Amino acid sequence: MTGAVPPVLPLGESAWTIVLGDRVDRALHRTVLGLARTIEAARIPGISELVPAYATLTVFCESAQVAERVRLDLASAIDRMTSPESRVPNPEPGRVLTIPVRYDGPDLDEVAERTGLTRDEVIQRHTAREYEVFLLGFAPGWAYLGELDPSLQLPRRSAPRIRVPAGSVAIAGAQTGVYPIATPGGWHLLGTTTVAMFDRTRDPPSLLRPGDRVRFEAIG
Amino acid sequence: MIEIVKASPYATVQDQGFPRGRSFGLPEGGAMDRLLARLANTSLGNSPGDAIIEWSLGPLSFRLPRGGRITGLGQAEVRVGDVTRGTAIALDVEAGQTVTLVPGPRPVFNYLAIQGGVAVEPVLGARSTYVPGGFGGFDGRRLRSGDALPLGASHGSGSPSTGEIAERVTEVQAGRNVTLRVIRGPQWDRFDQAMQQGLLSATFTVDRASDRMGYRLTGPVVAPKEQATLPSEAACPGAVQVPDNGQPIVIMPDGPTVGGYPKIATVIRSDLRLLAQSPPGTPIRFREVSLEEARRIILLP
Repeated sequence: MTGAVPPVLPLGESAWTIVLGDRVDRALHRTVLGLARTIEAARIPGISELVPAYATLTVFCESAQVAERVRLDLASAIDRMTSPESRVPNPEPGRVLTIPVRYDGPDLDEVAERTGLTRDEVIQRHTAREYEVFLLGFAPGWAYLGELDPSLQLPRRSAPRIRVPAGSVAIAGAQTGVYPIATPGGWHLLGTTTVAMFDRTRDPPSLLRPGDRVRFEAIG
Repeated sequence: MIEIVKASPYATVQDQGFPRGRSFGLPEGGAMDRLLARLANTSLGNSPGDAIIEWSLGPLSFRLPRGGRITGLGQAEVRVGDVTRGTAIALDVEAGQTVTLVPGPRPVFNYLAIQGGVAVEPVLGARSTYVPGGFGGFDGRRLRSGDALPLGASHGSGSPSTGEIAERVTEVQAGRNVTLRVIRGPQWDRFDQAMQQGLLSATFTVDRASDRMGYRLTGPVVAPKEQATLPSEAACPGAVQVPDNGQPIVIMPDGPTVGGYPKIATVIRSDLRLLAQSPPGTPIRFREVSLEEARRIILLP
């Protein structure tokens, strides 16, 4: 990350969104995670949580009153990353997790038909890639994984389901993910896993973190 | 112990929300009207952040087997045995007496605090109920008739005057047009000047499909210069999102922690409760304030 200083925009009175880009791109995402690690290492007082996303990093402050002070401290951290002399911290590759999946989802046949592939080809292409965890959100423990093989990319379902069972393994657009809890949902369901994506008694409760890599493995 | 004799269609245990959790997708949650929840507590000598019962949509009846002191804020009517009254601030209730709280058309969310606080086990740092995930509060769900909730020990008496302030606040606001102060959102510049001014001069209406996750507003179409789905990024309660149909959705405490819709503005923290307490059909307007001014407006203790 060199050159222009990224915009730091207020998100409400007590958070800042640092904008590093506007695309889904693994290299850009690595920069987001690098910035998050730089800020964590700087131990800036008054920060409550960091939420990295595809192309932005949002810094939530403990209160509106400390937010301006945090902004000044963030500017120093960002400066260190943008100065040509500094080395961009290269984040350690995250962990690689394998998620076992029973590929028996209600949408598997439809996905095969719409993509012109066989069921087995859909499964093979879904399991062939190592996906990156880009961000967590939408529901506790929901991880946005990308990028999906282009031959499997379809828009979301036009009629979302009112209830998608927890553990459903799904795809939409260039992303794939596992529903951690039962929620409404508009993604195509390929199968199910019994792995708990979110367990409130675990520390941390979410199985995945931004930067982790995920493979799916067909079982049964 | 507090026993629910008849639960209203919506009643959950809430407090001031989960302190951390956005980083793994858990929304803040907590009381929709943080101020009323806190004032109900302080009127009884509870800590402001103690757990209370947030309820709506129908009468709530309960008993305290050992008696105790309660404050109810928002309800139109309180029935204790045969006696009907309007207010219930630091009200002493006898052992086994049934108390019924009857809601009015406003506010939307009513608050019942009991001296000692509702003492369910905290989950992830809070006693708030996250219904979609089925955890927190009382068994992660809405209350039902027959539920019995543990109470904490009393800290001693509070100041009933704070409860009276809260009643007055609710009365006064019910009579006024609702204007929400906002600051510019991260995607403000994706909207042209006419749209920006349109947001700040138009009147929107709260739609029926509004709940703890988000309040939908109907009114003139708001649209960015270019229709494009942005890569998802962090959002927060109060964020005014603009989906493809141009009708803004304001994120509320149980709403999604990330999203790809442009955020034209964010409602300041202190004013989010005004929106929360506005029933469907209420006219809403927005007024811009600077970030500096927004930070000076502090939620009452």
